[in-house]
Amino acid sequence: MEQNVLLQLSHISKRFKTDLALKDISMELHQGEILGFLGPSGAGKTTTIKIITGQLRQTSGEAKILGTDSTNIDASIYEKIGVVSDNSGIYDKMTVWQNLSLFAQIWRVSNTRVEEVLKQVELYEHSKKQAGKLSKGQKQRLVLARAVLHKPRILFLDEPTSGLDPTTAVEIHRMLLNLKQEGMAIFLTTHNMEEATKLCDKVALLYQGEIVEFGSPQELCLKYNHDKKYQVLLDNQEEIVLEQTSENIGKIAEWMRKNRIQCIHSCEPTLESVFLKVTGKALNA
Amino acid sequence: MENMNKLAAVARIKWLCVSRNTAVMIGPFMVLGMVWGCKILYGLRTDGKLVPMMMAVLLNLGITMNICTNGFLTVGTAIAEEKEKHTLRVLMTSSITGMQYFIGSILYPFVLTVVINFAILWVSGISMEQVSIPAYFLVSIAASLISCVIGMIVGICADTQMNANLIGYPLLIVFMMIPMFGNMSDGLRRISGFLFTGVVTKMTDCFANGVKYTVEPLDIAVLFGELIISALVFLVMYRRNGYEKD
Repeated sequence: MEQNVLLQLSHISKRFKTDLALKDISMELHQGEILGFLGPSGAGKTTTIKIITGQLRQTSGEAKILGTDSTNIDASIYEKIGVVSDNSGIYDKMTVWQNLSLFAQIWRVSNTRVEEVLKQVELYEHSKKQAGKLSKGQKQRLVLARAVLHKPRILFLDEPTSGLDPTTAVEIHRMLLNLKQEGMAIFLTTHNMEEATKLCDKVALLYQGEIVEFGSPQELCLKYNHDKKYQVLLDNQEEIVLEQTSENIGKIAEWMRKNRIQCIHSCEPTLESVFLKVTGKALNA
Repeated sequence: MENMNKLAAVARIKWLCVSRNTAVMIGPFMVLGMVWGCKILYGLRTDGKLVPMMMAVLLNLGITMNICTNGFLTVGTAIAEEKEKHTLRVLMTSSITGMQYFIGSILYPFVLTVVINFAILWVSGISMEQVSIPAYFLVSIAASLISCVIGMIVGICADTQMNANLIGYPLLIVFMMIPMFGNMSDGLRRISGFLFTGVVTKMTDCFANGVKYTVEPLDIAVLFGELIISALVFLVMYRRNGYEKD
């Protein structure tokens, strides 16, 4: 195994009674990389996380996390990984500090680190506040702070910004990019394609338990950019979409010469439209 | 050392949760208050001195209620609360083992039950000469442990605190009422002999009547048998789904 491969899935399948929830899932996650698992609800994202983290046993295939087969891992693996699920709870009646210090005790982490993490997520001034009285965004930041308290090598995030307002979501994104800079590998599941485009080095498009596309967001978008188009805003505020033909190229060149173009954008597909193209279904369906 | 550290962390979490739950915290004091109140009421016509039968009723009521409510309800609802608030999975994905969670969860209710059991003796006003402390200590510890394990089973079965109460109360009625009304019917008395709370009732009856109580082989068999059965039921349920069903 390569030195920096922290997670490796080979032909993972999972069957619940008669339903095949995951089909032949294979992929790798490297140190300092953010991998996005993109798919609609019920695509198998959470099931994948549960299999990797040993909360669920796969029907077939092999999952290796930090070099250990996921079927052989025990509770000690959670000292090296962090898990944030879509409904990770906090102890409402305890203070923000207590919420972290309890887990610091479990992971033998110093109070200095608790302080450091609280400052990172900008909750230090709320240390003595009851966690139940925090706003939704602050609670999510607290959950994230708890998950990274012990400096895990891999962080699993299941829909971390689901239901959050855009400002809070941006704050969470900033935090994740900082963690990536520190060398943490992040496995992110989301159905928010903008989030995936912004954060992920690689994305796997998951549909009905199957990876239908895999690559960097840019690679995927360019791969499906068959009908190249350009959106042009002219000085008279006229907005035009032009296909890439020799006639239109001449037109654009002419407008440029005459300085008539206010702005110009290429119209490659977004991850959402790639998903739609590949599966015939929208991500939020 | 590492185990002890994690165990202490779980016990601390449980203590912080339970100590902030007024409904649960009030339980033991309610039991003591009830024993004290009943002692005064029962003794109104006898200058405060209780006849043996009334002392037996008082002790049975207090001790079995303490054992059952602390075990079945405190332990059960605490786990259910963690499920309801989605903190149980967080804890189980933080390197805490099932065993550490089990011990950490029952530690505080178990110690509290045993302590309150002794406080009940003192509040009831029974002469300590009538009480065999070693036997009381042994039976009290075994019964409290059984009720805590049953509480863990309640916690595994329940999804919410309301659900835990719904499961816990019928158990409470069976384990509390059958020994209490054992004096009124031979059938109930026979059944009571095979319940761990029945052993407690038998012991307190002896204390109240000034009869020397010795732990008989049948009592030991009932206590250890029920401890083993409840532990096995817990293990089977835990192995099937863990603390929380997926």
